[in-house]
Amino acid sequence: MRLLTHNMLSCNIKGVTNGYPLTIEASKWMAKEVDFNGDFLRNIFVKIEWKVLIEAAKVMGYTDLPVEVDSSMLNSDEFLQKFHHALLEIHVEEGALICPETGRKFPVHKGIPNMLLNEDEV
Amino acid sequence: MGTLRIPLTLSRSILPITTSSPSSFLLQKHDRRISPAMATAKPLSTDALKQGIAEFYDESSGLWENIWGDHMHHGYYDAGSTVSVEDHRIAQIRMIEQALRFASVSEEPNSWPKTIVDVGCGIGGSSRYLTKKYSAKCQGITLSPVQAERAQSISKENGLSERVSFQVGDALDQPFSDGQFDLVWSMESGEHMPDKLKFMSELARVAAPGATIILVTWCHRDLLPSEESLQPYESNLLKKICNAFYLPEWCSAADYIKIAQSLGLEDIKSADWSSNVAPFWPAVIRSAFTFWGFTSLIRSGWKTVKGAFAMPSMIEGYNKNLIKFAIITCRKPK
Repeated sequence: MRLLTHNMLSCNIKGVTNGYPLTIEASKWMAKEVDFNGDFLRNIFVKIEWKVLIEAAKVMGYTDLPVEVDSSMLNSDEFLQKFHHALLEIHVEEGALICPETGRKFPVHKGIPNMLLNEDEV
Repeated sequence: MGTLRIPLTLSRSILPITTSSPSSFLLQKHDRRISPAMATAKPLSTDALKQGIAEFYDESSGLWENIWGDHMHHGYYDAGSTVSVEDHRIAQIRMIEQALRFASVSEEPNSWPKTIVDVGCGIGGSSRYLTKKYSAKCQGITLSPVQAERAQSISKENGLSERVSFQVGDALDQPFSDGQFDLVWSMESGEHMPDKLKFMSELARVAAPGATIILVTWCHRDLLPSEESLQPYESNLLKKICNAFYLPEWCSAADYIKIAQSLGLEDIKSADWSSNVAPFWPAVIRSAFTFWGFTSLIRSGWKTVKGAFAMPSMIEGYNKNLIKFAIITCRKPK
């Protein structure tokens, strides 16, 4: 699971109003090199919750992302490389995503989050 | 729509195997076991249904992929044509393109969807195609862990793993916050949803303002104004299919349109593409009864075999104008 995916996932247990963002707990993770695609990064930038990405990257040990961002930074190759690394190259293989409100853990296995709710959570 | 000429009973003459071989004996045994069970099928509870769906696809995904490739949906054909397995791949792509065109998804790169959700994503065929077409990001959800894993590895093999990701998740409780996606895509998964209102509500919820929702699914025929329900023989035929394919009760395209209207969705369009998918089933049956197809089927397990034996019922349903292949598209208000 990449941080790009994490940026979009939330907990939908019935009654939960504060199910985003999920906290990452990684027992196995790695950095995997991914081909750089500036167009994709520029396109996806507007859809990213930046604070969530920074926090997730920090939890995974990457602290190089700037706190304040604006779209003019998309012209900077240096920024794009950092954005690219945080968004696409940090890969959680095993672990869990934790709901901020209930503490419920959604397992991540072989890089795939299992977001299925139990009978009593629906 | 033309009548599909295919034997509805599974005659040994279709198989290139001699009467004395173990496989054809197995075929007869299964044939006798299935009919009574399917005729008296009881509807499954939601939990049992979800588990059944996950297990069905866990079990049969591999076989489907071997024969049909990574798109687990019908192909779009010219009505009345006869097709072979080789044509199918192109037809599956054509189905996606036809759906996008029907929904009037913009052809202008500046207006392309940037984020896409593939609801009931299978092994990610649509997800990968749409991601490549629109240079977008796509998330797929499926109940089947086997499918999610397979989807992930195929995407990796195709160099797309950074832009398309898969989660095990429930279409009736999508693990996304509101308004995330510019394009909400459900290609032949709607038939598995036990609560059509909840299903469509979730599609609408995760759609961004102005987003396009595309739903391609099997339905039963619209009821006439004088009708309260389908005829008994129609309900019985659908029950047989439901039991084999892990489907809950069917609804009509008109039902989906009503739901879309009640959710305040705009620009609602619908079409009946039954004659454009009709050539598919005889081609599937023909491929299932090649020696290779058949032995793969037997190896896949009981659930898959049960599914295979329901195929003639699908054809019967289409022939009797009971089963419709429908597209319903709409837009989330801005």
